[in-house]
Formats: sequence, C-alpha cells, structure tokens
Amino acid sequence: MTGFLLDLNRCVGCGACVLACRIENRLPADVSWRRILTLNARRTAGGPTYHFSLACHHCDDPPCAKGCPSGALEKRPDGIVFLHEDRCLGCRYCEMACPFGAPSYDSQKQVMTKCHLCAPRQDEGLLPACTQACPTGALRFAPDVSQVPDGFREAERVPGFSSPGGFGPNLLISPPRGGLRTPRFETLVALVLPGEGGAHG
Amino acid sequence: MTRRRTIRTVCPRNCYCTCGMLVTVEGDRIVEILGDPENRATEGTVCLKGLSYAERARHEDRLTSPLKRNSAGGFAPVSWGEALDEIAFRMKAIREETGPLGLLHYEGSGNHGALSGLADAFWHPFGGCTRAHGDLCWPAGLEATRLTYGDNRHNHPHLTRQSRFILLWGHNPAETNIHQWRLILEAQEKGARIAVVDPRSTDTTDLADLHLKPRPGTDGALALGMAHVILSEGLYDEEFLDRYAHGSDAYRERVTEFPPDRVAEITGLTGEEVRILAKAYASTPPALLIAGFGLQRHRHAGQAMRAVCLLPALTGNIGKPGGGWQYANLASHVLRPPPGMPPAPQGPARSFPTSRLGWNLQNLSDPPLRGAWFEKANPVSQHPRAAEVRKGLAGLELVVVVDQFLTDTARMADFVLPAKTLFEEEDLVTAYWHPYVQLRQRVWEPPPGVLTETEIWRRLCVRFGFGTGAFDTDPDERLRAILPQGREEALEELRERPIDFSDFGEVAWSDGRFLTQSGKVEFSCQEAADLWEVDPVPDYASLPEGHEGPGAAEYPLQLLTCKTRDRIHSQFGNLAMIQEVDRPRVLDIHPEDARARGLEEGDLARIWNARGVAKAPVRIHPGIRPGVVHVIEGRCVEGDPWMNLVTDDGITDMGYGATFYECLVEVGRA
Repeated sequence: MTGFLLDLNRCVGCGACVLACRIENRLPADVSWRRILTLNARRTAGGPTYHFSLACHHCDDPPCAKGCPSGALEKRPDGIVFLHEDRCLGCRYCEMACPFGAPSYDSQKQVMTKCHLCAPRQDEGLLPACTQACPTGALRFAPDVSQVPDGFREAERVPGFSSPGGFGPNLLISPPRGGLRTPRFETLVALVLPGEGGAHG
Repeated sequence: MTRRRTIRTVCPRNCYCTCGMLVTVEGDRIVEILGDPENRATEGTVCLKGLSYAERARHEDRLTSPLKRNSAGGFAPVSWGEALDEIAFRMKAIREETGPLGLLHYEGSGNHGALSGLADAFWHPFGGCTRAHGDLCWPAGLEATRLTYGDNRHNHPHLTRQSRFILLWGHNPAETNIHQWRLILEAQEKGARIAVVDPRSTDTTDLADLHLKPRPGTDGALALGMAHVILSEGLYDEEFLDRYAHGSDAYRERVTEFPPDRVAEITGLTGEEVRILAKAYASTPPALLIAGFGLQRHRHAGQAMRAVCLLPALTGNIGKPGGGWQYANLASHVLRPPPGMPPAPQGPARSFPTSRLGWNLQNLSDPPLRGAWFEKANPVSQHPRAAEVRKGLAGLELVVVVDQFLTDTARMADFVLPAKTLFEEEDLVTAYWHPYVQLRQRVWEPPPGVLTETEIWRRLCVRFGFGTGAFDTDPDERLRAILPQGREEALEELRERPIDFSDFGEVAWSDGRFLTQSGKVEFSCQEAADLWEVDPVPDYASLPEGHEGPGAAEYPLQLLTCKTRDRIHSQFGNLAMIQEVDRPRVLDIHPEDARARGLEEGDLARIWNARGVAKAPVRIHPGIRPGVVHVIEGRCVEGDPWMNLVTDDGITDMGYGATFYECLVEVGRA
C-alpha cells in the first residue's frame, strides 16, 4: 500500500515538510495536515531523542472512513485515503476515530480536511510536497511500503506502531542504527585500540 | 487560471547554505518554492526558512510606506517625496554644521547582494561618513585561518561524503547548515565516525559517536592538548610537516605545555576524553574538521582558532578529498564593486569596531555622531550591550532605518523606509560554505509604496545634486561589470545555474601552495604577532570573563546565545509558518544548576549581570554542561528574550569580532 517512509536517523524535526504541505495545499492557519513530534527534546540521559514527522498514514483499513456517516472518506484503489469535502458534514467523527489525529477541521469551510498524499501532484508525476521538500532525505514517499527502496536501511514497521487496532497504517520507520542517537564513547574507544589506528607518523 | 511562472533565484540570508531556489508564482502569490538542483551543494532542497518566503513576501505586517515619527511618539505614513526631502534637509544641516563624519552609515547582513555597494555612490560625494568595521559574527576565525593557510577556502561540500571521521567543533549543522548535515549523514551511513565538541546537546550531538562538552572558551587548550597526544603518540604526518610546515619547532615546544591532564583541568573534560578524541581524529583519515563560529566569540578567539585550525595540518588532512579544515569558504567572494562609482572622498575617514556600537553612538567626539542610517540591520536586537545601543539611538537627532518590518531598531527611528524583499531586485549573491556565485533573479516588482535601496540612494543623490551615473547604468550591464574581469558574459549562464569562479578546484590546497608570508602552513606566525600583538605561536589563556575570571564568584554561569534552524538572528520568527514549528525561547539550564537556585520548569527566570537583566522561561535541560546556560539569540517579536541586554561589547584578539559568548551571568526566579 502507498504511504510514507521516515528515517529516524535522518529526521532532525526541522519542519520543512510541514511548511511545504501548508504551501502546496494552501492550508489556513488553523488546519495542519502534518506535524512534528519530538521525544526527549531536552536530552535526558539514557533516553534517545527522536523527531517524528507525522501526517495521515493512509491505513489499509482506515477507521476514519468507518466512522464517517456521510461517506465522505474513501479508501481509493491507489491506497490514498481521500476526503471528499463536498460530502463532508463537518461532524468531526473521523477526528475522533483516527488514532493518529490526522483529520483537521477547517473552521472557515466547516468541513474536515486531511492529507491526500498530494493526489493532484501525483497525477502530474510529482512527489508529495512534504517528501520533495525534506532537506535531509528523511521523509520519503513510497508507492508501495512493502517494497523497501534502495538506501532505506533496516526499514521495518515498528512494533506497537505498525497496526493498532488492525488498521494497518502505512508508515514505515527506519529505526536508529545500532545504538546511535546515544553518544557512544565505546565506539571511539574501540576505534583507537592499539593496532587499529596509526595511519600516520 | 493565472499563468504560472518559475524563476531561478537564491536565498540571500546570512546562512551557510545560501540555497539556490526555484520560485513558482501565480499572479502575486507564491505557490511553490523548491531547491535548485543545479546547485551542487544544496542539491534541490531549501530549508524551512526558504519555504517561509511564501508567507513573508506578502506578509500583512510588511511596511509599504515611509513612516515618520510624530509628536505623539508614534509613526505616521508619509510620501517618499516628503520623507526624502526632510531626511536630505537634516543630513545637509549635519554635514554643514558638523561635517560628514557626524553621520553613521551602518549596514548589517540581513540581505546579501552586490548592489549594496551602491550606497557609496551617495556617501562618496557626501564626503564620507562614520562606519563600523569588523563583524559581529566570524572575523577572528577568518583571520586565524588566513594567518595559518593564507586564505579562507575549503573543499567542495560534496567531498564531505568521502570523510571517514568528521569532527564538528562548536558546530551544529543539523540546525544551522542542514545541507551539510545531509552530507554528514551520508558519510556516516558509509561508516564515518562523528565527534562533536559542544557544551550543549543538540540535534547534531544526537548522532555523534563521541560528544565532548568542554567549558566555553577553553577550545584553544583542548586543541593544544589534542596536539600533545598526536605528537607524543606519533600520530602526526611527518612528511606533510617536513614539506609544508613553517615554525613547527616552536609549536611543538608550546604543545609540551599542554599534557592531557592539564587540559582536563582547564576544559572540565577528562584526560581520557582528550586522548580518545585526539587518537580517533588522527588515526582515521581522511578526517574532516569543521568549526562553527561560536567558539571564536571571545577575547582570545583568534589564538584559539589558530590552535584548532592547525590540527588538520598536523595530521596531514589538508589538500585531500574527505579531509580538510572547514570554517568559511570565500571562493565566491570574487565580485567587483558596481561600475561608475564616484571617487572616494579625500578627507579623513572614521570607523569603530562594530561590537562597540552602543558606546560609540554616545561617546564619539570631534565630531560627535548626530545621525545614523541603518539598513539590513537590527542592532537593538543583535548588538551586544543592547541597552547602550538604545541609549545611543535615543540621543541622536536623526535615525533612518530601512527595513521590511517594524523591528526593535525601526521602532526607534525618526524615519522608517520600507525595504524591498529578495524577490524584488536582481542582484548577485555570494556564499561562505559552497563556492557558488548565484543570480538573485527578480520575481516581481516591489509593491506600490516600496522602493529598492538602489532607488532610494539615487533619489537622495538627486536631492543633493550629486551625479547619478552609477544608478543610470542598465541593470544587466551593471551586473556584468560586477562579475569577475573577463567573465562578464557569464551573467546569461547564471540564469541557468550557479557558477564557481574560483580557480583552485574542488580540493582546497591540493597544490600545496599556501598563500602565507612563508608560503607554508604557519604553525608559528610572525604576521599574527605584528598585526595583532599576540604570541606568534597559538597559546591559551583563561578568559577575563570566563569560568576563572574575577566575575565568576558573583556571576558563576557562562551564557551562550546560539542560533537555531528557524530563524536568522531577528528574522523569520514573526511568521506564522515559522511559529508553528519554532523552537521554544527558553533558558536551558542543567538540573543541578536549577536545583541550586530553586528554579523549576516553566518558572520565569531572571538572567543578570552588571550590564543588565534579561528574562526567559526555564527549561530544565540535562543535556547542557553544568555551569553553562543557553538561550537562542535574536528578537523577532515582542516577548522574545532580549539576551543582548547582558552580553558584553568586547573585541576579539584579531579581526575586530564580538565577544557574545564570553558572558557570565547569575540566574534566579523573576
């Protein structure tokens, strides 16, 4: 299924994806389709720091669509969970049903709105705006998240996040490489053990 | 549907990346901003600040009329004619009564472009003016590098991918040089080790294999201590030293004074940490050492930077892909002044070190300053001893500020003149990380009520009866004449891609021809001694306002005011797009230091010393070195912490830089 890939080694939580989404989709100030979640911003010892860039995960079996009384939410054959604003009543049931807080209410239009994986851009052969904008290559678009692209290391669905309630969210996370994200003195010690260094002199 | 146009241009902010941009507009609205894939350093992306131009370019708070201070202390819109007539009248009076030096022209770094030089087409015939010299940001490191290697140049950024060891010293590229960070990540994915020297924990240190947190201001000792280990363990490059080193005997002797155990005492690190870092760096070629600007914002900065920048030479990492010394790359600084400039005045010139702005505004004499013109600058936020700057401005009879927004400085002006944005005048932009000159192509005309600075100076010249030849040149002809001699026709190519005009290739110093007085890498430098009265060999002394300084008993905490990804100084933080993802403006303090002062998370802290008081909410931060506190610098909006109320206006030992990070404070509940 189509979705996003996020490399936690590369994401610094800068927010370029959030801005690119806002510009591309002309979102009003009170609407946000993508946001950054930072864990352990103050670097408490022993716990790593992560930034998550999160939007709609375009679930295999989207709970938002199940909860929609007007049939405004459609799981399209291409995998995009698409909200038809013209059918939306603005009841906000989908907001309650989504465990990830993806749908966002537009108070001016009085309808729900949400990420559509930049469907109009995809029609033109372009990448979703958020993935195009990512300066570190942390956030990527996956036409099929079961096919891990080259260079996306150790990608896996993170246990516990992969499918709460069996919805099948399509976000693939590349977890931190062995112990990175906690500064590791030992790796340097290993590097300079006698006989392993000394290229000069 | 309105026609879409895409224009290749460049972000002109004071920032490493200087991204090439492709801006797509529909009518008067920006619908997309992409990175220019033709820029081989920024490689097709811009950062969040670049994206935020979609909001900034048409922001509702943007100034679109000249403003004049009225009798009630507020501002009233006036016409350009009225504003410039009165400004000219008052400038003439100052010049007649006091002479041209009674006026200060101050230009900051807010909007880079070669056309800035046109200001002198007015000031030259005016008879000159008072100016500031040096720089708030980086000059000690520039001068240290120049004295050591002969020039500020470094390898092409993409060669970072070939590094096997990357030592980031006082540098936080994950926040301040995001495109460099991407290259570092790629090197790491191929197995490179990363070490970071920084008293704070940052997004950069998160990925480090080794993170050392020395006391601020002790970097020179750490570098000499690393050299001690490298020399005593035989990890130096003897062949490189034989061929390219000048004065290495004196340097070796100096280094013997800095065994790791002594360095541990000075820096607050352990001797083991010093040894591990030195060995790892020296034994993993090619090793790249990248220094930020923060470690050279104190009174002994130049000598410290000389000590740091010698490590790549000591280990033979100079002139190699994947290795090297990176501080600033001035390869693109090859532009000429605009053509048709009137000759410089014959009379006496006058300038002062820029960090001392506040004092000089108040105390210059013979003649005293009576008026000042500020552009691309917000010194009330950005200069040290901000209260003195304010006092100085309040004492002047004419203050003109050119800006896009009503900044802290603009609020103190007699006249505020609205400034163009980067999209409203074609210009040439240089960089200081990658080697490219880029063309800032015009996206659209300035909105009604806004004039370019070029046009403001031209109209002032008319009012003074000065020649306007420099302004009447065809804009394309002018830009061609600014390009390097013989490369004038490259202007057309610049519409398609950035150009590297330098002639030394992608690997700096690969020819081994150093541009110093000795023609070698200067481990001992007589020029440094002659110019700046420092020891010819890099040395270390504790800072007058450092952790051992006389003030440390009363003010025991060292304050750092660092940069972040969301802002450039006092720019960008007023935008809703930025505020959505902005970093909190808080005082980061170690739990031990907070506990000792009874401070808890969220308390409003008072941060003070003899110079003043600033305030910021407390964030308990286990990642910062005890004894060090940190607040992000720059006042973008009312309510942002005003940290330059407590920073000092010292001058660095070389280059006339500022000493923001040599600042002791005490902290308590407000």
